Amino acid sequence: MQLPVLNEAPTKSGCSASSCGTTENQMDVLPDSIREKVQNHPCYSEDAHHYFARMHVAVAPACNIQCHYCNRKYDCANESRPGVVSELLTPDQAVKKTMAVAATIPQMTVLGIAGPGDPLANPERTFETFRRLSEEAPDIKLCVSTNGLALPDAVEELSKHNIDHVTITINCVDPEIGAKIYPWIFWNNKRIKGKKAAKILIDQQQKGLEMLIAKGILVKVNSVMIPGINDQHLAEVSRVVKSKGAFLHNVMPLIAEAEHGTFFGVMGQRGPTHDELQDLQDACSGDMNMMRHCRQCRADAVGLLGEDRGDEFTIDKIEEMDIDYQAAMEKRKVIHQAIQAEMDSKRLEKSQKAEQFKAEPKLDTRPVLMAVATAGQGLINVHFGHAKEFLIYEASPDGVRFISHRKADQYCGGDSTCGDGESVLQLTIRALAGCEAVLCSKVGYEPWEMLENAGIMPNGEHAMEPIEEAVMAVYKEMAAAGKLAVLPESVRASA
Amino acid sequence: MAVKIIESCVNCFACEPVCPSKAIYEAKPHFKVNPNKCTECEGDYPVFQCASICPIEGAILNALGEAINPPGSLTGIPPERMAAAMAELQSH
Repeated sequence: MQLPVLNEAPTKSGCSASSCGTTENQMDVLPDSIREKVQNHPCYSEDAHHYFARMHVAVAPACNIQCHYCNRKYDCANESRPGVVSELLTPDQAVKKTMAVAATIPQMTVLGIAGPGDPLANPERTFETFRRLSEEAPDIKLCVSTNGLALPDAVEELSKHNIDHVTITINCVDPEIGAKIYPWIFWNNKRIKGKKAAKILIDQQQKGLEMLIAKGILVKVNSVMIPGINDQHLAEVSRVVKSKGAFLHNVMPLIAEAEHGTFFGVMGQRGPTHDELQDLQDACSGDMNMMRHCRQCRADAVGLLGEDRGDEFTIDKIEEMDIDYQAAMEKRKVIHQAIQAEMDSKRLEKSQKAEQFKAEPKLDTRPVLMAVATAGQGLINVHFGHAKEFLIYEASPDGVRFISHRKADQYCGGDSTCGDGESVLQLTIRALAGCEAVLCSKVGYEPWEMLENAGIMPNGEHAMEPIEEAVMAVYKEMAAAGKLAVLPESVRASA
Repeated sequence: MAVKIIESCVNCFACEPVCPSKAIYEAKPHFKVNPNKCTECEGDYPVFQCASICPIEGAILNALGEAINPPGSLTGIPPERMAAAMAELQSH
């Protein structure tokens, strides 16, 4: 049987450097049953997110609480963050859209309902969508995220569908702190404010978490890191939710801008710096390094993480599509098998390289952060000026690990925005603060010079090479050139 | 006696299912209240259900035409602070 060609990019294999390594396989610490479920999920698996796509359908407009980082008036097509959508869908439209996307983007394996309100505050719309998709598109994994207030009442219904992941946003386990994040909840036919409201919400979240675990449903916990409010408290949240059985704790940075009209935005609450976020994620993730690639998607996002193809699937467009889902499922199956085979061989290769790396004499050098421009497939394959975001990796004597992604404005839009090119370029370089090298397929002359002046070494020598191998190769070059003498203090503390 | 939903409504659906009289219905450009059905929740609840879940300050008026949730009462953002932030943004 001939497998379809998935991507134009050549599948280059082999390590260009003499060797390379990655720190622990992020999934190894999980029990087999959980690993089985999450290892090909684009939101949970760093390597899977280069191959598999996800989508959210915006069927759930109502919310039963208010969070200080959310503004229910918001709807903007140019924004990408939770709670923002362009078009509200009925369950019927959502099912059509999901099948249209699944047929058009066969890499799409995961359908989530995440808003724009709280999915469980819209039980009829949410569950009708899940019920129909479980029947009509059984090859799609279903996920839901919730603030937790209505969760205990929904667990029974959730367990009936094809849902094996639930995400609960838990920002605190202390009502004092909760009162600074949640101004009110709607509970038992009343609007309740202050600490009393926070206590009810926290109790419901914890009860819902316990009930889901008891039913064998996987639970991920999301927390928004809000400096000065819950940043010191999230390690405690992490401990509590993991002891109850949450398999993953994802700490996300607060997004707060005055123009969003949120309480935190208008009141000038800042988000965390890259270093603050990384330190907390390191403290909370324990052995798990699974959510660093989280892009905090819109509630109607479509496509690979970091991209949004929602415009191709507006209500008008999907009404005109004629989808033969049986045929699409056949095609999807073949494509998923091909992707699986490619991922398996890459994972094997990676673990072999890691073994090889362990056998080598260990370097005695400090860790270094590097930025990488990639469009997927785990390769360095994007021109510096075309990168919408950079992935940040840390290279150290222990190997290479993925740290985070950082957004960049494309300074080279090739259109009328070019007049502002220089300042946007400076913004991009600022977004790379703390990195000592940037690896991309090509770097232009002007940014090259500016990057060098900013202490970030541009590198276009590893185009089309696997990311971890290239990062390790550059790290070794830096070590050989004597740039990485061990410093007495933590490098990051002084950076 | 009836409440009224005005144009600042964001069509979030939250009020519709909590109305004990089924007086609220989806309409364009925003949700509306059938004044013949609305009981102001009398006999069912001590407080307006729609206005107790509505997230938008000023979007629901009482029979006197007053905002049940006045500016600042839900978000906690002092109205003058909001006005200053919006003026600041418009000046750019």
